[in-house]
Amino acid sequence: MMRSSSLLSGLGRVYIGLVLVFLYLPLVIMAAMSFNASPFYQLPFEGTTSWYAALASNEGLIASTLNSLQIAVLTTLIATTLGTAASLALFRSDFRGKRALQALLFPPIAIPWLISGTAMLIFFFGTGIGRGLHAILLGHVALALPYVIIVVSARLQTFPRELEDAAASLGASRWQTTRKVTLPAIAPGIVAGALFAFAVSFDQFVVSYFLATPGQTTLPVEIYAAIRKGFTPEINAVSTIVILFSMGLMLIVSRFFRFAGDR
Amino acid sequence: MTPSFKTRRRNGLLSALPLLLPAYAWLTLAIFLPLSAMVYFSLLSDIAPNAPSPSLTIENYATFFSDPLYATLLWRSLVLGLIVTLACLVIGFPAAYVLAKILKGRAREAIFLLVILPFWSNSLVRVFSWSMVLREGGILDTALNAVLPFEVTFDLIYSYPAVVIGLVHSYLPYMVLTCYLTLQAIDDALIEAARSLGASRLSALRRIVLPLAMPGMLAGSALIFIPVVGSFMEPRILGGRNGTLFGTVIEDQFTAVYNWPLGAALSFILLAVVLVILLAAAPVLRRTA
Amino acid sequence: MTKTMKPMLLCAGALLLATGAHAGEVHVLNWKGYGADEPFATKAFEEMTGDTVVNDFFNSEQEMLTKLRTNPGLYDVVMINAAFMRQALEENLVQPIDTAKISNYGDLDPDQAASAMLNEDGKTYGVPWTWGLTTIAINDKAFDTAPTSIREMWKPEHEGRVTIRDDAVEAIQLGALATGQNINDIKDMSAVETSLTELLPNVRTFWSAENDWNQMVASNQIDLGTYWSGSAGRAKAQFNLPVSLAVPEEGAVGWLDSFAIPVGSDNVEGAEKFINYMISPEFYVEWDQTVGAPVSASRRAVAALPEDAFNRRVMGSPEIAERVQFQQPITDEQRESYLKTWQKLKVGAN
Repeated sequence: MMRSSSLLSGLGRVYIGLVLVFLYLPLVIMAAMSFNASPFYQLPFEGTTSWYAALASNEGLIASTLNSLQIAVLTTLIATTLGTAASLALFRSDFRGKRALQALLFPPIAIPWLISGTAMLIFFFGTGIGRGLHAILLGHVALALPYVIIVVSARLQTFPRELEDAAASLGASRWQTTRKVTLPAIAPGIVAGALFAFAVSFDQFVVSYFLATPGQTTLPVEIYAAIRKGFTPEINAVSTIVILFSMGLMLIVSRFFRFAGDR
Repeated sequence: MTPSFKTRRRNGLLSALPLLLPAYAWLTLAIFLPLSAMVYFSLLSDIAPNAPSPSLTIENYATFFSDPLYATLLWRSLVLGLIVTLACLVIGFPAAYVLAKILKGRAREAIFLLVILPFWSNSLVRVFSWSMVLREGGILDTALNAVLPFEVTFDLIYSYPAVVIGLVHSYLPYMVLTCYLTLQAIDDALIEAARSLGASRLSALRRIVLPLAMPGMLAGSALIFIPVVGSFMEPRILGGRNGTLFGTVIEDQFTAVYNWPLGAALSFILLAVVLVILLAAAPVLRRTA
Repeated sequence: MTKTMKPMLLCAGALLLATGAHAGEVHVLNWKGYGADEPFATKAFEEMTGDTVVNDFFNSEQEMLTKLRTNPGLYDVVMINAAFMRQALEENLVQPIDTAKISNYGDLDPDQAASAMLNEDGKTYGVPWTWGLTTIAINDKAFDTAPTSIREMWKPEHEGRVTIRDDAVEAIQLGALATGQNINDIKDMSAVETSLTELLPNVRTFWSAENDWNQMVASNQIDLGTYWSGSAGRAKAQFNLPVSLAVPEEGAVGWLDSFAIPVGSDNVEGAEKFINYMISPEFYVEWDQTVGAPVSASRRAVAALPEDAFNRRVMGSPEIAERVQFQQPITDEQRESYLKTWQKLKVGAN
């Protein structure tokens, strides 16, 4: 029995290895091609960094990258603030319809983005809110909010409610209690929620795609347009940078939020 | 933990409102009102600038039912969703099992992180990366032919399998994540008890692990099925002439053909179908939960 | 709205609104890699006029029209295939052009300048820029001798090695050519459908941008396909790819591309200057010789090419002229039925 179980665990490790190859191989190949000289991805491989150099003078890509970062930062600030406030309110209170209210958080996650995106396009265009970066921001915050609330609420579950009561009985005001007791205790959850919000916004393509206007686009929209209208290894180069950036960000998140659980 | 009676009375809906309102107001503006607008729009006649002022009509829905083309495309999208979901389940569940039950300690944490990292990287870029791999004369078959004694060619780009591969790659981490969370919650002692009572490894898996892991598998399936049914970017990049799906036709109505009312009606039909499928699956979910 | 939210939103709004169009910029809507976005051209234009060129691109004529509809006032210049001008006019998307302000206008081929597609009620809405053919181009590696018939694309040996553009009108007109019909007056639609149904299994994928075509040839994925005459020249001249143009005996589809000024442009003067530069010999000769281009609508520009230039020697020859069927505008009903047919064929093929 011992032998069969070690055989099984060996097989398991090999299997996980194969899954990782499947997940990472295309990314590695894409990154490799960003260092290949041929504009048509022809082999044999001829090393160059010229595609990265070309990025530096690609104004459209640079502008859209700055837009993406700007929107992601604003989304993070707004979604984290609103989401943390809502999580606290849901945590502290109990009323009829609370479950229904919580269920209303799921549509942004559960509806196909294609539908959210086209619905926003229709509504913003029809009401004069218009499209562009402000519309993209409106959409991104809505998509990120549920993630923040779920992550912060999860952290609140581990927060002993009596602490708030104790602080209150010692004469602390509601706001003092929140600021001095509750928020510090759930800070890791808030940080994780904020980073989730950033990632959701920075990687979002579909909703941005329908809300972008020429000149007011985000990086993923620009990359999609480039893929559709003829791509070059320059796109590989910018994609490689984006992938490394996102993954680096999530490595930081993992320090605050143990995805693998505590067991 | 249940709140004390005092706490509950102090914290009703009214006192929660100021903190709740901003978040829900935002969701209303960016999600719920747009969805309502979409329903209204789907009932409008032509909105072309030179057309007479729009009137209410059910013509757009009639179009869906009168032309078998749309039903065919919707069916194809649903089938694609099913194939991708099943593939993710078949590949993802064993991976989650290995992570939760075989690997331990730091190795588990590191590998788990590696598996879900791509999930947080740009999905568009990951789909694009497959167009590098699947092309004939690409880096993968060149490298393989350099070491293998026989000739292999990858020529999958612009095909249905390419779309499936790209989508599985995009959504696999969802399945691993949800399955892992439920598998991890299953007490090892339970499995060992079954084994010591003489259950074979297989029947322990079938009778104990699978039923307990069912909620995770179903949650993962829903998280994958829903976006895949509405996918348009992946088939456009990887599918070539096989890439016409319900999602791409909806996108066309908005970005090219400029028939927003029809696009809205098609979107709404897609949403309705997805909801019906989810509702149908809900009892199963509740029973196993 | 709560106290904290309002300043936050205002702040966000101010940050985001800091971008936008202003005079001194010419916003151009065109195909990608089609002359107007060549770095040499935008640089020369900026040095000449002080106006910056801002390019935006479309994937199909349909998308071009939708971009005009949903972004009123954004663009100053749009490149429109003359066959689509009527639709743009009917929807009030483009404005009349004062040709007196365009000094090179007199160099244009008089027939093209006076084309009924570009002029209405004595007003000019489009300035012809270039013309060319949608015909077949071949991968030189796949052929010893160039094919003479368009039916070559249907041959079983090219299964999975043909590419055509994902465009309803272009596809239907290709079917019309292959079945010996007039592209502007298709009598036997079912023959066209049958012919395209037979062709689709041979199609590897649809191309939507020149770059697609070039990549597929570079990686030897296709033998032949439909292509534009200027693009084939570019593939050869600029990228050294084994691409040759073939004008089959069944004929080829001719198109006329023009520049128009969208309604609501806030830099009409810059737009006029830009159009004037685009039809100038200085721009055209450099474009054709260093990059590769279709034939200019300006006679003076074509005459400025070297004598052996393809666009002067071959495209100007009578043999070509008699094989070309120029695209005429199509009605809304036709367009819709083409679109439907094409969608049906594409879905049916899987």
